[in-house]
Amino acid sequence: MNTFVNQFSTSSALSVIKKAQAVTDDDEEFSDAAWGSEAGFGSLAKGVPSFSVPAVQDPTSFLRLHTDDHADPNCRIKIQHGTTTLAFRFQGGVIVAVDSRATAGSYIASGTVKKVIEINPYLLGTMAGGAADCQYWETYLGIQCRLHELRNRERISVAAASKYLSNLVYGYKGMGLSMGTMICGWDKTGPAVFYVDSDGSRLKGDLFSVGSGSTFAYGVLDQGYRWDLTDEEAQELGRRSIYAAGHRDAFSGNTCNLYHVKEDGWRFIGNYDITKMHYDGPGDVPGSTKVAYGYDVRVEGRTSSNPPVAAAA
Amino acid sequence: MSIMEYNGGSVIAMVGKGCVAIGSDLRLGNQALTVATNFEKVFPVTDRIYLGMSGLATDVATLREQFRFRVNMYQIKEERDIEPEAFAHLVSSTLYERRFGPYFIEPVIGGLWKTQGGEYKPYIAAADLIGCLNFAKDFVVAGTASEKLFGVAEGLWEPDLEPEDLFETISQTLMNGVDRDAYSGWGAIIHIVTPDKVVTRTLKGRMD
Amino acid sequence: MNPMNTAAQPQQRQFNPYTENGGTILAIAGVDFSVIAGDTRQSEGYNIQTRYAPKVFRLTDRAVLAVNGFAADGNMFVKKVKQRLEWYRHAHAKDMPLHAIARLIQTMLYGRRFFPYYVYNILGGIEDDGSGAVYSFDPVGSYERETCRAAGAAQSLVQPFLDNQIYFKNQQPAPGTAHPAHLPLPHVLSLVIDSFTGATERHIEVGDGLEIYVVLAKGRDLSGLEGFAGLQEVSSRSDGERIFVIRRELKKD
Repeated sequence: MNTFVNQFSTSSALSVIKKAQAVTDDDEEFSDAAWGSEAGFGSLAKGVPSFSVPAVQDPTSFLRLHTDDHADPNCRIKIQHGTTTLAFRFQGGVIVAVDSRATAGSYIASGTVKKVIEINPYLLGTMAGGAADCQYWETYLGIQCRLHELRNRERISVAAASKYLSNLVYGYKGMGLSMGTMICGWDKTGPAVFYVDSDGSRLKGDLFSVGSGSTFAYGVLDQGYRWDLTDEEAQELGRRSIYAAGHRDAFSGNTCNLYHVKEDGWRFIGNYDITKMHYDGPGDVPGSTKVAYGYDVRVEGRTSSNPPVAAAA
Repeated sequence: MSIMEYNGGSVIAMVGKGCVAIGSDLRLGNQALTVATNFEKVFPVTDRIYLGMSGLATDVATLREQFRFRVNMYQIKEERDIEPEAFAHLVSSTLYERRFGPYFIEPVIGGLWKTQGGEYKPYIAAADLIGCLNFAKDFVVAGTASEKLFGVAEGLWEPDLEPEDLFETISQTLMNGVDRDAYSGWGAIIHIVTPDKVVTRTLKGRMD
Repeated sequence: MNPMNTAAQPQQRQFNPYTENGGTILAIAGVDFSVIAGDTRQSEGYNIQTRYAPKVFRLTDRAVLAVNGFAADGNMFVKKVKQRLEWYRHAHAKDMPLHAIARLIQTMLYGRRFFPYYVYNILGGIEDDGSGAVYSFDPVGSYERETCRAAGAAQSLVQPFLDNQIYFKNQQPAPGTAHPAHLPLPHVLSLVIDSFTGATERHIEVGDGLEIYVVLAKGRDLSGLEGFAGLQEVSSRSDGERIFVIRRELKKD
């Protein structure tokens, strides 16, 4: 996920940092906004946020030295990695499903992470890569989308919102931002999904999955995907795909958060425990076959090597 | 990437009142990919000794056979079962033989030994991958979740637990420990060794 | 080697302003209280720099911040947060609400995205609706509201124990009953003490002293706190939210 840091570095990044340094001198200096009601998001309300950088020859390699856990597993500042997120477009809107695990090395730092970021009532963003990068910039995107509404008296399109984010992170290319996100929503063109990452990629598509567990999710997703899926079938497919990733990928799991975007905005469908889905299925929810997802649970008693519990005892 | 984390997995042993408990998780992985969820890491050595091994799965399998061979040879020569302490030293010396090209496993031993008076007393031990023994009075752990297991065990364990209470304690320790470790879990197995019987239970753990 | 030759060898130096100072912090939210604790040992490698360096700080009468990681960054960060909170007080004639402090901390941490504060923050206190709350942060500002969180050197020892004892993970309630969503204060305090004595036993960077901050919601009585040795009140008023500190000894070896 961090390959771009290795591919692009120094010269171009340096000039961007110099520019950022010129715009503002550290967070020592606060504008009058800090004294007023903007104190929380003070530096954001002005438009251009500013960041302090270390006074070294190559700030990018400084950051990489201390934060990139692929280059050095012993580095001190661990940025969360490992995730499964997916989103797909279909006849009934957009399904967004994510897991909720955050790992730092082999330690599971959290099992309750909100990886769907509610940008506004019509837009969702997903979180993979640096948690702070996604949280911060997608909140910032929410501010800009609201300003767009106020200026233009109409909601921003998903294409425009995703391009805003893409252009924004492209400005920091090579400086160590790490995000792989799907911007999902409904606009005049209907349901829309855009994949945006910190390398600068921005792709329009019907179906995406991002993260260490994405290969497992794709396996289930591709097999079950059709444009004319019903709402219930689509929700079940999202849940089932995240379960598959949570089960097989060590760095994904805990719970699945499911969202459905329709013409009138997004709706939170539910939070599903992945272990519960393994043993009992997702429960009595729309689209559920009420059968456990787990392989050995499903096939119990069907082969001699996997006898029913009662017979084995 | 550490070779000790290549396949993942953890083991733990605890002392109780006239009994010991030893258990492991059931995952076998290839780094982040979970390959199997029925890979036991604890094996019977005698009627009253169990050996757990965490680390590189190929070495776990190899050493299981190696120890079976050596324990059988001991039994034939001595015409008696090996005692836990002797077995611990057998494990230690077997591992030290490969001092400069070690097997990548950390063993955990749990068993009961017979005193002069004929009663059975609990015995546990663990070692590092080159055989440095650690005789603990309370509990020993090994594997990718060892830190987490230490933390929970330190909070839950108490002296002189009866077999059923010891089972609950080791089960809670193992399950909550591995649930914070990406490389361990996917079910667990526990053996409670008492003088007259061994009770083995498979636990339904988190499957993610 | 010929000493004249050493000058000819290529040399590389790197700017490393960070170090790790050990210790562990922990916070648990109750229905109408919040407990924020930290040990007081500060170490570097195998050396103990001091046996009393506080890691938990009172921000307002309803907010307490615990910092862990690189002590110099932690102290500076707390100083800057306190400064921003004072400015807010001057502008608005009231204390900043807890959820707003959490967002402020996010933007302050992210402002150093390219030169991070090497600090793990846990913010505990009372929300505007009177509920106990805990917010945990990573060094560059991603945050989440939780019921309980441990961070620092012994987080991997303490957190799974708390999962078991606070969230009742891997435990089944007796038929017809349910696990409580929040625990009473005396129970929480004894879990905090057990967590730190356990961590002290098994981790060399944890020990010496324990500081437990307790934030009580407005109007809550002191039940659960009375009779605690070394209890000290640190709130500025007695008619709002109140903050108490409990100081205890931990093993020093």
